[in-house]
Amino acid sequence: MTRLALLLYAAAAAAYLWHFVYRHPATGRAATALLAAAAVSHTFVLGMHTMLVGHMPFVGSSNAVSAFVWLLGLSYLYTEMTTDERAMGAFVAPLLVVLQIIPTFGAGVVARPALLETPLFVFHVTSLLFSYAAFALACVLGITFLLLFKEIKAKHLGFFYARLPSLQVLDAMNVRAVTIGWVFLTIGVIVGLFWVATARVASPDDARVQAMSVLDPKIFVALVSWCVYSFHLYARRAIGWSGKRSAWLSTLGFAIVLLNLLPVGFFFTRSHNFY
Amino acid sequence: MRLLLVGVSHHTAPVEIREQVAFSKAKLPYALAALARASATGEAVVLSTCNRAEVYTTADDVSMGRQALAGFLSQFHEVSLEQLDPHLYSQADGDAVRHLFRVAAGLDSLVVGEPQILGQVKDAYQAASDARTTGPTLNKLFHWSFAVGKRVRSETGLGEGAVSVSFAAVSLAKKIFGQLEGRPVLLVGAGEMSKLTAQHLQAQAAGPITIVSRTVEHAQALADDLGGVATVAAGWSEIDRLLAAADIVITATGAPVPVLTRARIEHARRTRRGAPLFLIDIAVPRDVEPSAGELDEVFLYDIDDLLGVVAENVSRRSGQVASAEAVVDEETARFLAWLRAREAVPTVVALRERFEAIRKAELDRLAPRLSTLTPEAKARVDEITRLIVEKLLLTPTEQLKALGDHDSVVAHSEALNRLFSLAMQEMRAGRSTGPSGTPPGDEGAPR
Repeated sequence: MTRLALLLYAAAAAAYLWHFVYRHPATGRAATALLAAAAVSHTFVLGMHTMLVGHMPFVGSSNAVSAFVWLLGLSYLYTEMTTDERAMGAFVAPLLVVLQIIPTFGAGVVARPALLETPLFVFHVTSLLFSYAAFALACVLGITFLLLFKEIKAKHLGFFYARLPSLQVLDAMNVRAVTIGWVFLTIGVIVGLFWVATARVASPDDARVQAMSVLDPKIFVALVSWCVYSFHLYARRAIGWSGKRSAWLSTLGFAIVLLNLLPVGFFFTRSHNFY
Repeated sequence: MRLLLVGVSHHTAPVEIREQVAFSKAKLPYALAALARASATGEAVVLSTCNRAEVYTTADDVSMGRQALAGFLSQFHEVSLEQLDPHLYSQADGDAVRHLFRVAAGLDSLVVGEPQILGQVKDAYQAASDARTTGPTLNKLFHWSFAVGKRVRSETGLGEGAVSVSFAAVSLAKKIFGQLEGRPVLLVGAGEMSKLTAQHLQAQAAGPITIVSRTVEHAQALADDLGGVATVAAGWSEIDRLLAAADIVITATGAPVPVLTRARIEHARRTRRGAPLFLIDIAVPRDVEPSAGELDEVFLYDIDDLLGVVAENVSRRSGQVASAEAVVDEETARFLAWLRAREAVPTVVALRERFEAIRKAELDRLAPRLSTLTPEAKARVDEITRLIVEKLLLTPTEQLKALGDHDSVVAHSEALNRLFSLAMQEMRAGRSTGPSGTPPGDEGAPR
């Protein structure tokens, strides 16, 4: 079933790319339908895993990536429905496919350790995953903004000019996504701090809990990404960093998020290595 | 029944002739009524734009129909036939269908792919519909043409990209700012091209518009032309403030050196705190220092840039013509198949009635011999004979409906008529020989 979800994401990505290049309306509608089917099958997979282990399968890097893909897919579908804009699918769907390969061929789900059986942990992880999904959308919007910006500046109005919405729309959507992501990131970090405080008392001998400090790469990089996005919002309001600079910042921010989600989450952290 | 089109267009007639045969809104209902009375089925649509005047109708005889329509156009517009006839073209059946589909798709336009023509075709149909001069054939034909126009635009890039300097500027502004509603516009200089561009921007609800000119009278005159929306800034002293306040700036002065220097724009950019500024410099020599375009969030397009955009769009559109023509050909074949199938209907109906009459007559004749049968057995015999008749008629019906052209339908229908002595009153009912060319004065049209 996990492989079916991956196949559907791949089919949706192909359809979105086809629609982006050839702008065939029926292919665009098919792409949306395929992505919706992928999200439904992914929901089913997550539901089955929840029933299997008795909790939402968000623990561990592989499962976190799966949940991230699921949330990003749903967030994108919501964005598409509310803005009637399908061009971003050509950028989001391939990202979903690449990331979904990790949980499809990675470790399966197992019951979480007792340490994580607390609502604070669920709230912490869920908030962060929501923020990552929003940042991914902001990154895609930022990249497309830069591509369109470059074409208009270079006065060769071609491929992206004909396919993307206006710079103003991309910029407005970008800041909306960053704001939503920042709110969830802030909530996730604060809840995480509370959880660490309670975990230190409950599990004084657990090495992972003791490693939970700013010095741990996972936490350090998460705080760096919070600083980048906070600066993004501050610079936009206080010094008028909209448009191109805003697009670069959201791209940089998501690169840091991806760094934290994949290499740091898999190989470097001492505090978040639950599997 | 044949479809017939007669008209003039920018391909065949100079503007003097096109002006003379254009149908005004006031005269159009009278013209339609006269044409419908003269047509084979009471159907007529007139498509009249600045580039064409075309009459779509039906006729039994194409040659006579063309002659009659030429006479009608000559008399209605009071243009001599000798003067008009060399510029007239006529097309029938498939060619007429293809022509309308090409027109609706923008393939026959002066600027290939122009978007306005589809709306004009719709308006022409609406006027005919209001005058009750459309019937099943032209209703279907024109609705089909709307779908063809839409399909060509959605499946090919034929209508994409502005092909005039002022539209290119407006398209760029939309691509930068999205909605132009309420976007402040600054006009530096009061030239004709800047006025045209400002009008296009106004059509997108952009504004308020501020005009700066060395001569207050020029600025005021342009402000008046722009419908009183503009306000006049008398002189250059305020330009820095206005530059910072505007999102779109159009410059067209006669100044020999750039009036908007990089330093000036840099200053405005800082005041604007990074909000994008779109500068359209249509003056020669240029009004804006070219290096200003290197500034972030400043989009500077001069006249050569805009002409380059237009040339790229024209070239891209011409690359889409073959795809658009393929769509038109495909839809023409589909429409003709529908039309021929419809033409064959009276023959098919008559054939079925004839066979059914024979079947019933034979069953009646054999009734005494079948009297010993049970009611169920009689019903079965009735069913079997009915099925035999249906199977016998299936292939000829399909073949008749699949005939490719009008002449074949007529020839086959005549053959079947003779072979089976069909009663085909409905095929003959209500026919005339084609548009009579009755003078419009006699039909009650205004002179």
